[in-house]
Amino acid sequence: MSIKEKGYSHWNGEFKQGGLSWLPIVRWGIRLTFRKKFFKLLFFISLIPAIVFLVGIYISERLDDFRFMIRESTDFVQINPAYFKIYFTNDFLLFMMVMILVFCGAGLIADDLRHNALQLYFSRPLKKKDYFLGKVSVITFFLFLITLVPGIILFLMKLIFSGSFRFFASYPWLPVSIIIYSVFVTGFFSFYTLFLSSISKNRRYVAIFIFGLYIFSDILFGIFYGIFRSQYFGLLSIKSNIQQVGAAIFNQRTPYDFSWILSLAVLLLFCLLSAVVLNKRVRGVEIIK
Amino acid sequence: MSIEVNNLNFSYGKIKALEGVSLDLPEGAIGLLGPNGAGKSTLLRILLGFLTPDQGEGKILGYDIKHQQSSIRRFVGYMPEDDCFIPGMDAVSFTSYLGELSGMPRQEAMKRAHEVLFYVGLEESRYRLVETYSAGMKQRLKLAQAIVHDPKLIFLDEPTSGLDPQGRKEILELIVDISSKKDIQALISSHILADIETICSYVIILNKGKVASQGEMAKLKEIDYSLYEVKIIGETQNYLDKLKRLKCKVEETEEGLLRIYMPPDQSPQEIFRLATEEGVQVRHFVKSQTSLEDLFAEAVGVD
Repeated sequence: MSIKEKGYSHWNGEFKQGGLSWLPIVRWGIRLTFRKKFFKLLFFISLIPAIVFLVGIYISERLDDFRFMIRESTDFVQINPAYFKIYFTNDFLLFMMVMILVFCGAGLIADDLRHNALQLYFSRPLKKKDYFLGKVSVITFFLFLITLVPGIILFLMKLIFSGSFRFFASYPWLPVSIIIYSVFVTGFFSFYTLFLSSISKNRRYVAIFIFGLYIFSDILFGIFYGIFRSQYFGLLSIKSNIQQVGAAIFNQRTPYDFSWILSLAVLLLFCLLSAVVLNKRVRGVEIIK
Repeated sequence: MSIEVNNLNFSYGKIKALEGVSLDLPEGAIGLLGPNGAGKSTLLRILLGFLTPDQGEGKILGYDIKHQQSSIRRFVGYMPEDDCFIPGMDAVSFTSYLGELSGMPRQEAMKRAHEVLFYVGLEESRYRLVETYSAGMKQRLKLAQAIVHDPKLIFLDEPTSGLDPQGRKEILELIVDISSKKDIQALISSHILADIETICSYVIILNKGKVASQGEMAKLKEIDYSLYEVKIIGETQNYLDKLKRLKCKVEETEEGLLRIYMPPDQSPQEIFRLATEEGVQVRHFVKSQTSLEDLFAEAVGVD
């Protein structure tokens, strides 16, 4: 059958109006990430801290039942903002967040650059901000699932297990801290990932950058701290800066003896530089001057 | 008129890519020709709103190219020159995804993706990952994504590049079908003159960022010069020099024929008179038709 005989009919539907043109990008970003090998296993592992901390909350309300396990020490099961801070800023959770970024974020822009897909996006009624919003939302979806969602669930479970609102009355600002920290850390990691994803067309290199920069910055801090014994070198470490700001958000003592404002400034500066690079790298056409 | 632009200027830094380009194009298939670096792709990118002109104005389907780019893109399809796809997707997902990004509802986009993939001849392989497609299949897929949202106008950038003769023929058939029977206007940028000659009724020739020539193909081919094909036996150098002094353009073909373009004020009898003067024999003399190639050569100043 020749091509002409196959027919072509006009579409009589109506185009959707409104500002949600980025939603297909999110849906497909999430779907394609879940199709990746080992991602489901990794995602499950990243939920282990939430499960452990949930068990901790349960135990805190059933101390008598578990006395044989915890013996004299009850420090572990004191549920307060510090408990939540530990959940959100512990090394393992931050590491797992970075691993999730490696899977879900490395190819977000790198693949589009490699396969010249940006012109396909921008030949649609899609603005640059829609494109970024779609890509950021993919990262947000996964990071919220291991920060905001467990955080709120842990808080609610504490109320349910205790059977009263006393905990909420004692720390009414805690849910706000959970939300602010989750938005903050997700926002930073979104800029971090998209920036690195935009500087190479090869998703494997980007994966190495995402993982390597996080680890290397911490190693650098360790080296300089070992030589100069100054905690200010913590400003070089992504992990230390996040932990420093996290402690401040949960109204806890900061782990390092410099102001958390400095850490916040370092992270915001990184985001600003990332935004500038992203704006230059992502465009409908590659312009060679 | 679906495409009207007036005095478009665009520069990449110090390099002027477009200079004073004005177009007022009719319906149907329109060819955009020009040598490499002539500004064809830049013009398409400005029309799509990827680039904002430094100067000038224009309207596509009645929408302003500077201020209503989103509206333009909703009703325009674009088939880029480069290989472009989203890895990890099969052809149906890819096409419906781009339909959704054009603003189509999800279910409609999926249904429509199947339809257009059938139309371009990818029905058998529509569930295959796009990265496993051959060059010809990728071209068809690019065409499918360009028409999935039923545009009123499509921009095709080098639609037959990298295709074998059969694949090229089939893509051209599709374009002819779309532009002549489906009420979809097509602007086709290509450096393959034969393709443009086959499918377009109107042609624009760009050279060094300027419009070198534009108009109905049939009229443009009636160029002022008369073309004669001549075979000469003997020493041709002095003969050629004398022809050039009469302002004739002369091309030598691979078969050893001379293609002589005579200006309107010269008579073909001069060909014989000069041959007699130079003592060479004219063994073959045919008045030939000018082609798009001749028009192109004349417009861009290639001897």
